[in-house]
Amino acid sequence: MDEKTLDDVISRYDSPSGRLLGILGEIQNREGYVPRDALEMLSAKLDVRLSQLYGLVTFYSFFSLKPVGDHVITVCMGTACHVRGAVEVLAALEQLLGIEDEATQDGKFSVTTEDNRFTLEIARCFGACSMAPVVEIDGNLYGYVTPETLPGILGNYGWRES
Amino acid sequence: MTGAAEADLPAREAAGLRKLKPDRPRIAVGLATCGAAMGGDRVYRRFQEIIGAGGDDIMLTKTGCIGYCREEPQVNITIPGRPLVILHRVDADDVEEIVTAVRAGEVPYEMALCRVPSWDHVTGTTVEYGGGFDRIPLYQDVRFFSHQKKVVLRNAGFINPEDIDEYIAVGGYAAAKTALTEMEPDAVVAEVERSGLRGRGGAGFPTGLKWRITRKAPGDEKYIICNADEGDPGAYMNRNEMESDPHMLIEGMIIGAYAIGAREGLIYLRAEYPLAIRRLELAIAQARTCGLLGERIFGTGFDFEIRIVTGAGAFVCGESTALIASIEGRTGRPHPRPPRLTDIGGGLWKKPTDLNNVETWCNVPVIIQNGGDWYARIGTEKNTGTKVFSLVGKVDRVGLVEVPLGTSLNTIVFDIGNGGSQGKKVKAVQTGGPSGGCIPVRLFDTPVDYENLNRVGSIMGSGGIVVMDEETNMVDIARYFVNFATGESCGKCVPCREGLKHTLLLLNKIMAGKGTEKDLDTLGLLADTIQKTSLCGLGQLAPNPVLTTLAYFREEYGALVKK
Amino acid sequence: MTHEEIGLSGTPKKSVTIVIDGRKCRADEGEIVLSAALREGAAIPHLCYEASLDPYGACRLCMVEVCHNGKTSMVTACTLHATEGLEIRTDTPEIVKYRNVLFELYLAEAPKSDVIKEMAARYGVTRTRFLKKIDTDDPLGGSCVLCGLCVRVCNEIMGAGAIGFVNRGPYTVVGTPFFEANTDCIGCGACANVCPTHAIRIEDRDGERVMHSWGGGRVRLAQCGVCGKYYAPGALTAATLARLLPPLRDDLAGLCPACRAKRIADEEIRVNMRGGADHHVRPRRS
Ligand SMILES: Cc1cc2nc3c(=O)[nH]c(=O)nc-3n(C[C@H](O)[C@H](O)[C@H](O)COP(=O)(O)O)c2cc1C
Ligand code: SF4
Ligand code: FES
Ligand code: FES
Repeated sequence: MDEKTLDDVISRYDSPSGRLLGILGEIQNREGYVPRDALEMLSAKLDVRLSQLYGLVTFYSFFSLKPVGDHVITVCMGTACHVRGAVEVLAALEQLLGIEDEATQDGKFSVTTEDNRFTLEIARCFGACSMAPVVEIDGNLYGYVTPETLPGILGNYGWRES
Repeated sequence: MTGAAEADLPAREAAGLRKLKPDRPRIAVGLATCGAAMGGDRVYRRFQEIIGAGGDDIMLTKTGCIGYCREEPQVNITIPGRPLVILHRVDADDVEEIVTAVRAGEVPYEMALCRVPSWDHVTGTTVEYGGGFDRIPLYQDVRFFSHQKKVVLRNAGFINPEDIDEYIAVGGYAAAKTALTEMEPDAVVAEVERSGLRGRGGAGFPTGLKWRITRKAPGDEKYIICNADEGDPGAYMNRNEMESDPHMLIEGMIIGAYAIGAREGLIYLRAEYPLAIRRLELAIAQARTCGLLGERIFGTGFDFEIRIVTGAGAFVCGESTALIASIEGRTGRPHPRPPRLTDIGGGLWKKPTDLNNVETWCNVPVIIQNGGDWYARIGTEKNTGTKVFSLVGKVDRVGLVEVPLGTSLNTIVFDIGNGGSQGKKVKAVQTGGPSGGCIPVRLFDTPVDYENLNRVGSIMGSGGIVVMDEETNMVDIARYFVNFATGESCGKCVPCREGLKHTLLLLNKIMAGKGTEKDLDTLGLLADTIQKTSLCGLGQLAPNPVLTTLAYFREEYGALVKK
Repeated sequence: MTHEEIGLSGTPKKSVTIVIDGRKCRADEGEIVLSAALREGAAIPHLCYEASLDPYGACRLCMVEVCHNGKTSMVTACTLHATEGLEIRTDTPEIVKYRNVLFELYLAEAPKSDVIKEMAARYGVTRTRFLKKIDTDDPLGGSCVLCGLCVRVCNEIMGAGAIGFVNRGPYTVVGTPFFEANTDCIGCGACANVCPTHAIRIEDRDGERVMHSWGGGRVRLAQCGVCGKYYAPGALTAATLARLLPPLRDDLAGLCPACRAKRIADEEIRVNMRGGADHHVRPRRS
């Protein structure tokens, strides 16, 4: 993220309330993650300790310090989705994308395929519980997902059976 | 000059009515998150194509969600002089047929869910649509609707949430005007006290009392905050309230700010709700244009602004002290109370602060408009008013249900929800999310209110009701919630941070068939310790799913452990 | 509680009577009950309390039972303020039961900490039912209990903000950003001093202070201009000296505490013989 864009983002926050999370959220949305140099620039510009920013980014699950793939697939692991088969959906996605369940160091679940095309993540609830189980891809919600319907959905994002 | 345009409500009301009941057919597509994702977006685009090609003889617009989410996507048809007809499970391929029928003054009967000859928007406005279409069932005869009482959701699915005129047309902002121009702040607080309204965010604290405490707190700088973090997974009523009727929330906050003496309000909204954020931003901008926010509202000396703050994915930030920390740019780690938010030194930027849930705020306009006594007659003596529940999981009719407090679980799950999905037997419900408990079907005559849910080991929470059927393993459900709470623990205090982790390890062991009777004892002791010694509500309540499943479904644990 | 409140203005604090395990004691009104109880010799375990910091209430070991209008409840003594007639018990069966489970959790979380082992043993807990956390390359040597004292001292007292909490829930650890050396660290070592489990490793060698637990950061130590010893981090002494007025600052700059004391004594004697003192020390802003 270049300095001008960051200045732009910062300038939109005229109140201290919600400022840091707002700015970090915009960085996350634009870049797909929070790059280290953006954090360091932000620390200098706002005179906020880097340790505070690092604490925020690692505390809130919305932020990621790792770059993501071209498409981000998020499986809802909320209660309604859980009782309606979210676990099977997640397992099917891991299998289709060839992702192994990795042990995490920081408690965040985010795995990217080797070709960098897809990142698989989990979420708490999209508030679309009526159509559980729910999967979100690049901001689009899909309801009543089953392992059988997944290949068709992924096909819209350039996935091909290998 | 600043000169806020004084709100010209009558003109907007007239304009809004012309939009709700135009002199030509109106087609409104249900475009809340669920409707849009179920294909409503495609349906809307298809309508645009087809109607656009034929001229402007039909008004196409958007509406929110009426709550019957299983039947999405829904489309409302209003033909002048005829009842409003709700079509359900509409597909983009049906659109051509619908438009053809509407142009002929008809509706496609086989797609119709129900008809609404007139709709009471509760605050004094009843919109009369018309008669006819007698073959289509009446709204009140649809089983999903017949047991409900719409107060908070009175406009949801009828008005266009992106148009302030339509909100004003159905009585919107009249309560704010009454409060600001005719009532003293203390009288507003007293009216809310008289209504008996209790906080809809979970704990049920009397709202009027909280307002009074904040009003009385020293200092002339105060904040009000709307808790729109809606963290309980499986609960989405706040999302719909914001997406389908954002102005109701704004109006409630204006009234509250006036009563409490705050000039700035914040809405702490979770990042997972992008549509709610967009609609509220739009609604705030519209309210500002109309002079309903900003300086000298209604020509009085009262100034008020609302700002949206987005969360970043942390369940614990629904907790009041963590929420404040989060808005101030810190990690959401709760701190011991006192000081409370309402105390000087305890609130946002150390100023006295009133925090209320979305639905709490949404209840305010109707209380001011119809009176606290009117409101207090709904529900039961200590639990007045209605509550919106999200009825989800393995239930036949999933959706948002609004009923008077004190309604039994039987009514909600069986009469409204029609029991288990695919004819399966219902075993239990889970209320209150990760902080709540599992209630077995034999206790379904429990009236749903704050005290009775506590009595059976659960809590109201924000209103999620997740139904479990005979195929659901209750130990797995307990493990699910403990896993959730472990991942969402802030990590500050040891019982929650470490205790939940070891609870999870034990439950994993039991689920794998490697547990022993002794592990069950340890599980109970750990749950008890976490409940009694944790710093904040997250830890104190997180053992509830374990404790209730141990109490009501011990045999399922027993079947898994080695003898 | 700040110093202003404790009667620097001259008003003495009101004294109240509180009852600890049936014994009547005096305390200042509003005083933290844990502090009063410890002064009275009560055996209340605690890990996260520090008088100079705001109440934090994280370790949960200091839970006591409070009797109020015949009803009892459990609260942390470090967040409880003394009021007239307040009655607490520190060793009810309930307290003991829960405290023991907490000790077991600590034994599992910080299995390498002798301090925790000894403390738990003093209250009769010598083993844990729970799986011990094993992390062979933990820079805090398997001894951190996340009491937060180091983080709070670094941020709230020193104002350095070099370390903080990273991650959340059971993944929480204390560290520097990216677990690397942090230039915000002034090497004051307050973190290591305040750590109840001695988990933080700091070493002075070859004119540098090495922050082993904080990404191996290095801070140059100042060398005494008189005796030649390395005595304190350069950044820290610079910060301290900045609070002094020029003549004294110039006199004392570059001296280790021992040589500094000697220099001040010499100066005192000289001034007294001359009969009058210059005010070298800038008065504290109140
Ligand atoms: C862990 C935790 C999570 C919470 N999450 C929410 C939430 O998502 N929404 C909410 O309104 N209240 C939540 N609460 C309750 C709030 O702390 C607070 O009591 C409430 O917002 C007050 O509003 P009310 O009086 O209108 O209910 C949560 C509490 C705890 C302890
Ligand atoms: S109970 Fe859990 S969430 Fe609450 S302060 Fe303790 S660790 Fe944090
Ligand atoms: S539980 Fe999955 S969307 Fe709510
Ligand atoms: S000393 Fe009271 S909670 Fe740690």
